[in-house]
Amino acid sequence: MVLELKKARPVWQIMFSTHHTDVGLLYTVTGLAFLFMAGVLALMIRTHLFFPGQNFLISDSVTFNRIFTVHGLTMLFLFALPVANGIGNYLVPIMVRYKDMAYPKLNAVAFWMNPIGGALLWLGFSDTSWVSYAPYSVIRAPGPAADMMIFGLKILGISSILSSINFIVTIIKCKHPDLPLRRVPLFAWSMLTVSLMTIIAMPTYAAALIMLLTDRLGVSGFFNPSLGGDPIAYLHLFWFTFHPEVYIFLLPAIGMMYELIPRFSRKPLYSQGSGVFAFVMLGIIGFASWGHHMYSTGMDFTTKVVFMIGTLAAVPASGMHVFNFLATMWGGRIRFAAPMKFAVGGIALFFSAGAGGVLNSAMPLDFISHGTYWVVGHMHLFLTGTIAFGFVGMVYYMFPFITGRMYSEKLANVHFILMLWGTVQVFFTQHLLGLAGMARRIYDYPPEYTSWVELNQIATVGAWILGAGFVAFLANLLYYSSKGKEANMDDPFGLGGKYYYPYQAKNPHHASGY
Amino acid sequence: MGHDTAEWVFVGIVIAILFYVGVDSWIVQKEVEEVPADAEIVKVYGQQWFWSFEHADGTKEVNTLHLKQGHAYKFEIYGKDVMHSFNIPDYVVFEDVVPGHVNHAWFSPDQTGTFPIQCREYCGLLHYNMRGELVVEADKT
Amino acid sequence: MKKIIAVSIIALMAIALVPQLHFAFAQESKTGAKQYINLRAEVWNEFFRMTTAAFTVGAVVSGTMIWLVWRFRESHPKNKTPTRWEGMDDPTTGSYGEGH
Repeated sequence: MVLELKKARPVWQIMFSTHHTDVGLLYTVTGLAFLFMAGVLALMIRTHLFFPGQNFLISDSVTFNRIFTVHGLTMLFLFALPVANGIGNYLVPIMVRYKDMAYPKLNAVAFWMNPIGGALLWLGFSDTSWVSYAPYSVIRAPGPAADMMIFGLKILGISSILSSINFIVTIIKCKHPDLPLRRVPLFAWSMLTVSLMTIIAMPTYAAALIMLLTDRLGVSGFFNPSLGGDPIAYLHLFWFTFHPEVYIFLLPAIGMMYELIPRFSRKPLYSQGSGVFAFVMLGIIGFASWGHHMYSTGMDFTTKVVFMIGTLAAVPASGMHVFNFLATMWGGRIRFAAPMKFAVGGIALFFSAGAGGVLNSAMPLDFISHGTYWVVGHMHLFLTGTIAFGFVGMVYYMFPFITGRMYSEKLANVHFILMLWGTVQVFFTQHLLGLAGMARRIYDYPPEYTSWVELNQIATVGAWILGAGFVAFLANLLYYSSKGKEANMDDPFGLGGKYYYPYQAKNPHHASGY
Repeated sequence: MGHDTAEWVFVGIVIAILFYVGVDSWIVQKEVEEVPADAEIVKVYGQQWFWSFEHADGTKEVNTLHLKQGHAYKFEIYGKDVMHSFNIPDYVVFEDVVPGHVNHAWFSPDQTGTFPIQCREYCGLLHYNMRGELVVEADKT
Repeated sequence: MKKIIAVSIIALMAIALVPQLHFAFAQESKTGAKQYINLRAEVWNEFFRMTTAAFTVGAVVSGTMIWLVWRFRESHPKNKTPTRWEGMDDPTTGSYGEGH
């Protein structure tokens, strides 16, 4: 019943709708739009770093600093969170067999905070870096950019708390009485876990942002050492929110893979129980590891050990997900349509990123890796390699349900190959750059470091390849949503099973049928 | 589901590997954090966007640090404005500069020559150019 | 079966711990007054031990994945006939009994 483009509806009807499929569509489209905007910023950064020397493409370091800040903020808060919420809005009510989200109006309000927050971030174009460490963000960062960033993030934080409340109530209170919680599909479980995590983690950062703002206004000195404050307090508050946030970004992608892999393997999931267990474990242990971002801030040995153990403790649960995926594929009859390709590519890169993460958590290796391009490569391997792969696979999977048309499998193949190639080339190379000692967030590097020059150029070429992949993605979405072959809505991927049909969701704006 | 055993074996192997990682890094970290008692203290000041150093005998240097081969040095790291990170990549010396705190790092240069010093925590406009030089000289005494 | 698992876990832990023993002895023999530990050697050695472990596990995992993708693809000669689970209501919740 979605078929947005085949039976076109006026845009305002979608925009002012509170139905979960409409809000889901708005979330997904907004998220993808911001993905392309932030992707352009990423290509600018990489292209600038192709040559050592200061006047190539970006001619001053302030602009460069602003670009990487907005790139990071956009990718995390305006791409990763909205797309997860969008797919969640589409599928969660159908998975728990309820007519809509629990609070449809709240849902629309939570969405409409995203463009406002996004506008503040983009109009401000702050240079604090996305972590906005005090005291730089307090005493040096120019306003109004930094203040606009604080307000933008505040609004986005409230938005994600509101949508989390909505998901929790929808899943726990509104699910069909015949459906026990443990039988709820794992994608809905992932949304439940991340929503609970958001409720616990986000208020801390919301408080830190207000403290940052009052510090900037000069009326308090929480993080300002010259007024008796302590910058380390900001780091604790920040990472207490943002290490769990890493799992908040990651788990929906894992949940999407749980939706894709059994379907395209044409085989039941290996174990629902272990999937639920691993989600809940990650949700709890995710809160025990924030200090590994702060090993080098003068932490004592015991604290480091505690946080190292907390970090390592999250690994078996992630491993259980990988095991579950592989065991599901084992003995199946796998159709490698685009969604499945992206899911499998995502698992492979998830493992690589996870192995790099284990290395990061080992205390002595912090001397080598922290604050270098190793970390950049590591967290981009998660964000591009796992999260974006899962999301892109899911967007291809939802495409026929949303538009009633099929995307081009050939173009999707081109996209997949370029994206996998590009991801590996950029982010593995960035790991090596980190080992060679290149610090993060630098505008320029000395031309006499020839190994840096070479590795940067390899990474930049990889970034162009990755960017070309996303151009193929954009073309696929735009062209085939209006010109694609009509999809067989009962079984668009020819898998012979049933799906969670988003078009069965009874959207009041559609008169009858689809 | 009747086939849990394989999964438990898998989880067991993962935990064993992590146990190895944890123990190994515990041992190494314990070892590298132990500052020798006779280490000479060098004060390091990080500020936007240069490094200054003060030796135990009171000599001050800016951006270039002269040390002697085979001696142990303990850095006392002070911050003056925003956070920085004191880093000598070739000698794996790395510790954040936090205003209001005194952080410590130590090392003992075993090779003569010049080595780059850089800032590894984003600190604004000229973060990319907050570079210094470590000169290790042979000990003539 | 449980015994085998327990024994293998203990064996793996032993394998993990044995290489550490030389550290204890190596430190004792270092009595020279001016001999400091070589920080960069210690840290980089740790790094290479960790990467060895990571790449070993990575070889097993990616090898398994490549084999899975090759063997269980739809077009593999042995995969012509549908599996016995196909056409079930919902494969994503892990119930094997309800195939139609």
